[in-house]
Amino acid sequence: MTQSNRHASGGRIDRGQPLRFAFNGKSYEGFEGDTLASALVANGVRVTARSFKYHRPRGIVGHGPEEPATLVELEGEDASGNRPATTIPLREGLRARSVNCWPSPEFDLGGVNQLLGRFIPAGFYYKTFKWPNWHLFEPSIRKAAGLAAAPNNPPSSGHFEARHAHTDVLIAGAGPAGLQAALEAGRAGKRVFLADEGTEAGGSLLNRNLTINGQPAMGWVDDAVQELREMTNVTHLQKATVWAYREHNLLIVNERNPEQDRIIERSWRVRAGEVIIATGATERAMVFSNNDRPGVMLASSVQAYVNRWGVTPGKRLVLFTNNNSVYAVASDLVATGIRVEAILDSRATVPQATLDMVPGLSVHASTVVGDVRGRKGVKAAKAVSATGVESWIECDVLAHSGGWNPTVHLWSQSRSSLQFDERLAAFLPDQAAQNCTAIGAAAGHLALDQIIEGGEDLAYEIEPLWRVDLPDQRGKAFLDIQNDVSVSDVHLALREGYDNVEHVKRYTTGGMGIDQGKTGNINIIGTVAMQKGVPLQEVGTTTFRSPYTPVSFGAIGGLREGSVLFPYRHTPVTQWNEDNGAVMYEAGARWRRPGYFPDQGEGLQEAVNRECRAVREGVGVYDGSPLGTFELKGRDVPQFLDFVYSNVMSSLTPGNGRYGLMLSDDGLILDDGVVFRLDDHRWLVSTSTGHADAMNQHMEKLLQTEFPDWQVMITTVTSQWNNATICGPRARDVMQALGTDIDLSPEAFPFMSFRDGTVAGFPARVVRVSFTGELSFEVNVAPRHMAALWDKVLEAGEPFGILPVGSESSHVLRVEKGFLSLGHEVDGTADAYDLGMGWVMSKKKTDYLGKRSILLRREGASTRRELVGILPDDPNKQVPEGAPLTPGGRKEATEGLVTACVWSVVNDRWVGLALLQGGHGRHGETAHVRLKDEVIPVKITKPVFHDPDGNLLRS
Amino acid sequence: MLIPCPFCGERSESEFIYGGPVGADRPDPNTVSDAEWVEYLTVAPNPLGPVHERWWHARGCGEWLAIWRDTRTHDIVEAPDDSK
Amino acid sequence: MSYDVEIVRQGLNALFDLKGKPAAIQSWAGDVLPTWPERPNSRSGQDAVELYHIGRNHWIARAALDQEVKLGEHLRPTDCPADISIVQVSDTLTFFRVTGPHADEVMSIACPLDFHETEFSEDAVTYSELFSLKALVMRCKGGFEFAVEQSFGDMVEDYLSRATA
Repeated sequence: MTQSNRHASGGRIDRGQPLRFAFNGKSYEGFEGDTLASALVANGVRVTARSFKYHRPRGIVGHGPEEPATLVELEGEDASGNRPATTIPLREGLRARSVNCWPSPEFDLGGVNQLLGRFIPAGFYYKTFKWPNWHLFEPSIRKAAGLAAAPNNPPSSGHFEARHAHTDVLIAGAGPAGLQAALEAGRAGKRVFLADEGTEAGGSLLNRNLTINGQPAMGWVDDAVQELREMTNVTHLQKATVWAYREHNLLIVNERNPEQDRIIERSWRVRAGEVIIATGATERAMVFSNNDRPGVMLASSVQAYVNRWGVTPGKRLVLFTNNNSVYAVASDLVATGIRVEAILDSRATVPQATLDMVPGLSVHASTVVGDVRGRKGVKAAKAVSATGVESWIECDVLAHSGGWNPTVHLWSQSRSSLQFDERLAAFLPDQAAQNCTAIGAAAGHLALDQIIEGGEDLAYEIEPLWRVDLPDQRGKAFLDIQNDVSVSDVHLALREGYDNVEHVKRYTTGGMGIDQGKTGNINIIGTVAMQKGVPLQEVGTTTFRSPYTPVSFGAIGGLREGSVLFPYRHTPVTQWNEDNGAVMYEAGARWRRPGYFPDQGEGLQEAVNRECRAVREGVGVYDGSPLGTFELKGRDVPQFLDFVYSNVMSSLTPGNGRYGLMLSDDGLILDDGVVFRLDDHRWLVSTSTGHADAMNQHMEKLLQTEFPDWQVMITTVTSQWNNATICGPRARDVMQALGTDIDLSPEAFPFMSFRDGTVAGFPARVVRVSFTGELSFEVNVAPRHMAALWDKVLEAGEPFGILPVGSESSHVLRVEKGFLSLGHEVDGTADAYDLGMGWVMSKKKTDYLGKRSILLRREGASTRRELVGILPDDPNKQVPEGAPLTPGGRKEATEGLVTACVWSVVNDRWVGLALLQGGHGRHGETAHVRLKDEVIPVKITKPVFHDPDGNLLRS
Repeated sequence: MLIPCPFCGERSESEFIYGGPVGADRPDPNTVSDAEWVEYLTVAPNPLGPVHERWWHARGCGEWLAIWRDTRTHDIVEAPDDSK
Repeated sequence: MSYDVEIVRQGLNALFDLKGKPAAIQSWAGDVLPTWPERPNSRSGQDAVELYHIGRNHWIARAALDQEVKLGEHLRPTDCPADISIVQVSDTLTFFRVTGPHADEVMSIACPLDFHETEFSEDAVTYSELFSLKALVMRCKGGFEFAVEQSFGDMVEDYLSRATA
């Protein structure tokens, strides 16, 4: 394939390295050093996109991240969406296609929207698609709007990475100003982090033919890069965009294709002592009728294509400007042998030094572009003089420059202020809010001689023109090419009262595209200012927000995908569980625990029934290691525990334990657990698995902020003790079979006590608690012994039919006993009295956390939701957990909810628990579960379905 | 943010857990009026500007600390109280 | 492998958690513990027993596992006075070592600390965040050593192999 627009020589491309690529299914060739955009220009592809709303044909407008028109979707291995074609380095085999069009930008079915254009004004979507609900319309509108879809598969070529970095100085931008700053800081021995979004350093010098002390400016760049490379205190990254400036000088940098195998993108979170913003300036567009025709391009971009990539976007150019910079472009074009038909300058007087750059060219002062002809490529531009004289000039590219905006995105993200500068007609950095400085073009120094000693450049002068304003103007004049926002849309917004610039933005969507209005926002502000007759400073800018350019979600997530997307915790038995076919669940606090252990061909319910029956009739064992455990030490532990638990703990004697509730001071139940007194000054507090960290935080907060003088020291020992809990009528037999030096008789070792000794040869602490309602021995050993203990328990229990028990069965067993579960019955509304546990609320203690609040709440006359058991009238009828109860099952306000419902193996039927209005007084009555399609009558009972007196667990 | 820990010095915000604003001292629940008790529990300082708040150095030394943070800027406007 | 590092997940160490006023702990423990580390987040003792000062009135004593019993007999956790707390916590932490030319880079993926030698000295030891978990971090010969709560050991190993894939 020929690259018909490629020059024979020149540019920073390697003609010895041709690269094949495909665009919208057609195959082309470019060179190493090209971007997708420059390769498309080289191949004469003019229509590269369709617009967002009207599906108008669009071409390439810019040459970097400012590109508003040509967004593409990459296909294949590096699939990603909505990427400006100007920012994609070309590589062999690249496949890309335009977004916003189907089947191709040349022939786009959505183009009918153009005909409806005048019916799709600003706010159209808000006004039209509001009934019954925007979400009804959103999917089809999104499809019609046609932003790229998310890729179906993660990239196969590697992974993303996020890492931290620390530096004395972070410099954003490796143009002349940034490089010079990096050299100075580097030579001073500071840690320097220099990041630049381009594929190579140099910034604007890459695109321009400038000299420094008579030598090509790029030679100076090469020397600077070389010197920086030799400094070990300097990190210099290219293809690395500083896209966010957060508080406390945290900046986020997205590095693409780092020089490292298998890393697709790397996100750097850089903490900088000082930030230097050397982000350059962005050329802004002129606003005139049909300024979106393919071939209407930014002048600096035309210059970049010619100088940097050795391609000519057109053969006959017209230039349109309000400032000096375009004359340097024209000079470069002429030097390359490209024909410049005319320079149209909106200023009344063109400075002589500027004219001197373009001898022999036709320069028309006081002249603007009134219209552009050529739907799929510019054919002619209409020049209109100040006196109204019109003439059509034939051309294939119209290059325009509305002046330059210092790229103040990062500056502004740092909350530093901007001030409108009348001389430059641009917003400039003003007061810094963090330790940052803007330098170079980003600070308004737009000519090289202002930045580097010996630099030679044309002085920058401008007379702003925010939009071409002619009588009888026809055709849309776009302010935001990406979002299809025209001057008339802004006028409409103003007429309808949206006159704050932030409102104009949201109502018209101007500046809300992926390019964030880098070329057009200033013209929106100018248009608003013109219409309201106020200065631009008064209109102000919209808030600059990160990201400066689009960032992949992958880069933000870093390594966090696949198996480590969420944290997970294992016990020494996790492997055994997996090897033995357990269905694994994530339990609280990220523990991976067995849900149930199905036999071959068994479903959940059969497996759970089998496990429950083993515990009720024989013996079972579960891994209780994840339970939160804390050792408390000190003289003031008793009074501390009495304050944080609702019942009295201080009266415990060594060796014994007590169940208790922890409340917050507003009466909420925070947690339940068991407290043991080890000796005079050492205590063991256990918490529920899911709340272990929160309870540690709660206790530490109280001790450090409320009672700093109390002598209480807390050590987390959750992972110092693992346990196998052996439970069921045959539990004592299994313990004996294991071999222990502890007297297991109920008299010597009663319920709610612990004994230290050995079990199966391991040092162990055996605790008699029960979460199943059966005789239980919680055998605690060091984790190093846990896997071996587990094997021995199963071996010793085999003659008694021992089964491992998963969390599903634990749930059934606790519901049969009416034991509480946080998140089920303890839902943030029920208090201990509601749950039938008034005994746990000490009357003796004058104060403890939550006491006052509970009393206050119970003084009210309203009936409360109280814990009851429920038995469905049909014993085979399951009630979904969470189902509402309503009076008589009628469609009325609920009077409670079902918190749990399980198949009870001891009752051979479904049983449940519920919180029900006035439930304690309604035992024996019938309540009604109201579902969408049916009403289920249930009998109200006491919330216990097995061994109501607790004889078994004490046995 | 970088949060100054009295034991460790400045550390990344991600090492800390937010502990809420420092409110009024806990009144004696046995003498306070209902209204005062409810006020104590429910009315937390929420200024536009510097707020005195607690953070827990959970993924650090375990210190509970208090800082003054400007809610408009995240600037920490006064060193944490190291005198406790 | 894109990073030149060696990653070793270590076996158990003898660990004792010490809390209280230094004078009280010293007078109870006697000379079994090395010279007291003075600065916050620093360590002392290179040979048999190391001492990490990782919180206000908070230390961790670390030794080889075969010293666990001996150290326990000296420190007598169950007998120590009310104003100090000594708890054996050997099993609570899993230690990893990341060494090699790119150890710094792997650590910077895992942890927000500044590991520049001026900021994180040879004798530095501190709790920080590592793959979003609380972790004890320090230098070792040729790289870094860190410990996470034992139950997260498999996950951290998973993370490290992904980071260096």
